[in-house]
Amino acid sequence: MRLMLVALATLLGHYRRHPGQLAMLLLGLWVAGALWSGVQAINASAKESYARAEALFTSGLDRLERRDGEALSRGDFVALRRAGVDVSPLLEGEAVSVTDERLTVIGIDPLTLPGDSAFATAGSGGELTAFFTPPWQTRLAPATTERLGLEASTASGATPTLGDGQTLPPLVLAPSLPPGTLVMDIAAAARLLGSGEILSRLMAEAGALDAAPAGYRLVRAETLANPGELTASFHLNLTAMALLALIVGLFIVQAALGLALEQRLGLLRTLRALGVPGRTLVGVLALELVLLGLIGALAGIASGVWLAHALLPDVAATLQGLYGAAVGTRLQLPWHYWLGGLGVTLGGLAVAGSATLWRAARLGVLELGQAQAWRAGFQRQLRREAVAGGLAALLALATGAWLATQPPGEGLVAGFVMIAALMLACALWLSPLLAAGLAGLGRLARHRPLTQWALADLQLQLPRLSLAMMALVIALSANLGVGSMVGGFRLTFLDWLDQRLAADLYLRPPAERFDEVQAWLERRDAVAELLPTAEADATLLQITADSDPPRPLRLPVTLFGITPGERLTPSWPLLETLAGRDAAWAALAKGEAFINEQLALGQGLAPGDRLVLQAPGGRGREEVIVAAIYPDYGNPRGEVLLTAARLRERFDAPPGSIGIVLAEGHIADPLARALTARFDLDDQAVLDQRRIKALSTEIFERTFAITRALNALTLAVAALALLASLLAQARERRRRLAPLWALGVPRRELVGLQLAQLGGAALVTGLLSVPLGIAITACLVAVINVAAFGWRLPLHVFPGEIALTLATALVVALLAAGLPSLTLWRTPPRALLAEEETT
Amino acid sequence: MRRPPIGTSRWPLIGLLLGSLLTLLTGCGEPAPPPAEGFAGLGSEAEGFVAAAPGTPLRFPEDHGPHPDYRLEWWYLTANLEDANGEALGVQWTLFRQAQQPRGQRQESPGPWAAEQLWMAHMAVSRGEVHRVAERFARGNSREASPEQDQAGVTARPFRAWLDDWTMESRVEDPRQDALERLRVSAHAGAGDDAFGYRLRLAARGPLVRHGEAGFSQKSADGQGSIYLSQPFFEVAGEVTLAGETRAVSGRAWLDREWSSQLLGPDQTGWDWFSLHLADGHKLMAFRLRGGGEAGGDYLSGTWITPAGEATPLEGDALRLTPLERRPVAGREMPIRWRLELPRRGLDLIVAAPHAERWMATAVSYWEGEVRVTDHDDGTPLGEGYLEMTGY
Repeated sequence: MRLMLVALATLLGHYRRHPGQLAMLLLGLWVAGALWSGVQAINASAKESYARAEALFTSGLDRLERRDGEALSRGDFVALRRAGVDVSPLLEGEAVSVTDERLTVIGIDPLTLPGDSAFATAGSGGELTAFFTPPWQTRLAPATTERLGLEASTASGATPTLGDGQTLPPLVLAPSLPPGTLVMDIAAAARLLGSGEILSRLMAEAGALDAAPAGYRLVRAETLANPGELTASFHLNLTAMALLALIVGLFIVQAALGLALEQRLGLLRTLRALGVPGRTLVGVLALELVLLGLIGALAGIASGVWLAHALLPDVAATLQGLYGAAVGTRLQLPWHYWLGGLGVTLGGLAVAGSATLWRAARLGVLELGQAQAWRAGFQRQLRREAVAGGLAALLALATGAWLATQPPGEGLVAGFVMIAALMLACALWLSPLLAAGLAGLGRLARHRPLTQWALADLQLQLPRLSLAMMALVIALSANLGVGSMVGGFRLTFLDWLDQRLAADLYLRPPAERFDEVQAWLERRDAVAELLPTAEADATLLQITADSDPPRPLRLPVTLFGITPGERLTPSWPLLETLAGRDAAWAALAKGEAFINEQLALGQGLAPGDRLVLQAPGGRGREEVIVAAIYPDYGNPRGEVLLTAARLRERFDAPPGSIGIVLAEGHIADPLARALTARFDLDDQAVLDQRRIKALSTEIFERTFAITRALNALTLAVAALALLASLLAQARERRRRLAPLWALGVPRRELVGLQLAQLGGAALVTGLLSVPLGIAITACLVAVINVAAFGWRLPLHVFPGEIALTLATALVVALLAAGLPSLTLWRTPPRALLAEEETT
Repeated sequence: MRRPPIGTSRWPLIGLLLGSLLTLLTGCGEPAPPPAEGFAGLGSEAEGFVAAAPGTPLRFPEDHGPHPDYRLEWWYLTANLEDANGEALGVQWTLFRQAQQPRGQRQESPGPWAAEQLWMAHMAVSRGEVHRVAERFARGNSREASPEQDQAGVTARPFRAWLDDWTMESRVEDPRQDALERLRVSAHAGAGDDAFGYRLRLAARGPLVRHGEAGFSQKSADGQGSIYLSQPFFEVAGEVTLAGETRAVSGRAWLDREWSSQLLGPDQTGWDWFSLHLADGHKLMAFRLRGGGEAGGDYLSGTWITPAGEATPLEGDALRLTPLERRPVAGREMPIRWRLELPRRGLDLIVAAPHAERWMATAVSYWEGEVRVTDHDDGTPLGEGYLEMTGY
């Protein structure tokens, strides 16, 4: 034991002399742990939010709506209950806090809420009587108290004042509630919202009603979107990014470990000679690994939580914008998160360190004397790497071939596997490629001794450089791939937005006044064309493709109704049609349907297929033919497009918005003001095209803000890794320059030599990562995006991005070479020679 | 007397609805409330409410309707029925009302959703070993402007009591007749093979009976009590659905009306209550309140009702009740076989439940089921009725 401690102290002493190596090791661990656990924290937090939202009232309960589009009221509730229909009322509205935070108010009637639904999670505990009798209670998640300007610890029982001067019922903390939600008795909510007898929803236990009561429409729980499912692919993407960061971090760790062990060979030899058994030595090295691992992992997790905290608002905004899923902006971490983070980092460390331990364990005592023993094996290692790289490339090829046989939209995991295999192949081939290149160049430079020396020297350094270079190639190509994908998506999306937003003004009148508003608009001179829409939830019951037998299914889809007119049809983008654009629009007008790309890819549909749809309030099953497929970016659900008139008539769909095309020479503002005043609409009801575009673009930017942030972080980490591993060897390289200097090579040339060596290596690395990055982009747009989101994008390549990638590699290398060169410049030649002697 | 219960502000009702009684008592870091007093909190103080007192004048049909200033009230019907083959069935229909605040504490404008009154309805159908139970809840305010527009309520003119589609309403059209002379009672729950419920027509063959002192029924030695009326003379015809199958039935029913603000004394833990139709046309109501009697003993009381409807209170040693046999039901030891003695009338009866599994697994739970009456000495069948046991 004592022996081990002494050996440990001796081995750790190495880091006192080379603090740079220790820093690099810890940096790798820290970065790997931080990015990984940060993303996992975001995922865990989001999942927890979904679970809470799902357990509440939004899903799992059927809903009733009035057929005439009027708002539901207490009268509906009482009439239905007294007719024996088991419904429960829910009131939903918004409260604005004094700090201008918007919170969702949900009023429920616990006395009629379906038994085992939700109220249990709404916050059991406390007294029920207190819940439904004055002064009532406001139940909220502890994190929500902050948005009311209160501390969670002292909020219980407080009655905060809202922006409009009303006070909330006394607060009761209920950790199971979703973020930003205030749950209270319906009497308290009605008073707060001033809603009188009006209701937001009537809910029934899922499946309890066979049919909708007369005058009502039954919306089944299963047709309502479920945030957990919708967002799964988004979280998978985040996880993949985190995994990438973890791998890059572990490359750094392995490079640092290899370096530290190699430089301690002499020390190990001495220890063995002093009688420390080989097994003990390996044990001590493992112990050192665990110690460092613990420090690095804990620091990583701590930073990961901080990182997640910083990124969570963006992620929450994305999820809200993209999927309408509410995610708290405060971290909610289950206990297993902490263990998981620690486990993954330590596990990764074990993988990265195992090679080092293995080599240390196999080293014979006699070989210990030869510091060059490992380097001699480098050729063997290069061969092994080339073979392994070949295997990875084969795997990538095989996965690609398999993916090609799959219907589009399948193989999200396979897509990631393929990308990983591609990256691995390139990373593994990097060193053999560099070695071969150097050997070839060496032969060319036979008559230029100094160049030849530089090439040979670089070859000698390659084993130490290769790991950092591998990390760099992975980070560069991933950066390039993801950057191009996002950039391409952005171009496509903006273009599509321009095409889709054909009208100048968009208006969402209350359903019961829709026809009145439309009639009023039709009489305005300023209006050239009206484009009313309608929307309903439906179930896709059956698909019939050409010759196949009909395929039954139960898929919730959205029915969307548009008004194909002069303004809309020319610009509306279509991806595939049955018989050309004009024929497709004619078919739509006749009552056939378009479907969005998501639905087509998800169900393998093509123009000409027949769909059987059923809407809750409709006339039963309706069959339509798919006339065209259109792109529908940003929509997580399958959608069937019909004309609005048809949709309202055949599926009894409530009206949606009205697009207003202005007549030549008219501007939007006066009409918008007249509309708002005439129908007493709130200012959110009328939106002009510019504003919608701005909103959509903002949502888009925020969606990919997290991707970009993670991507940039990964690249920064790889650059740091290269820099660190180069700096760690700077002293040794400088030492090798001393004889050259002694032979009379000017210092200027020596510095140039150094810069050329590393810059060249980095350039090769950067060049290798360009095709790899493009391949990754291709895989992302053709496989991952299709599977994750349901839309295919054109492949865009951005020369600017490529140049940036190369520049990053070069700058890092030159910086790494330049800093030691500065020292070289200032070091007296005598000192350089002295360093050589002490080796 | 009777009946369970809507408890006080600490009652466990929605605890079950909420899923966890345990967290209800310990929840959210608030201090745990003290244990409810009496069964379902019926013994707790009722400050601000009108107290039931002797000499309260009764007027009809107004007093068939609700008394919102009393804390507790119920309309409670039990029926002993049989189908065409002579198979026995039991039916229960109950509407409970509990005021959440006394009049003085109610809000000026309570709003349409105010829960000043809490309504709770229980219904049960039983046959042989089968016992199906359902319950419903509703909120209401105390104003009588338009009670017909509420989810639950009771109106006196015309008489109608309801919660959702569970209803009890008068079939009397002649205003000179008492509204309870003829009733229509209906309730259904479940669906398909699981459906159960009933639709019954009731006709009274005798007058309304006032228990105790002209309707004031004392419930403990210190004078606590309630206003308590019964209509025990109903003849019933109609149909009962059980396991999705509907059968025509006929038999007898007993309706209790009771209101009070503090039903039990603080020391009383529950009761055993009998309503019996004797074969010779007499009716017998008897109860034992456990605790609250002289010197901490039980408090016994009852009413002997002749076929013509003349009521004689049974006080002191005029009534003896002795449990004879206990059976485990729903995790409790329930006395399902009793000896009931009226020494001054020379009656010595055995009252026994042919089926012990009659536990009402509702939010406020209790035992309620059919009983047969036989002679203690020779086993001669002497009648039938209902037994209710609470606080076990």
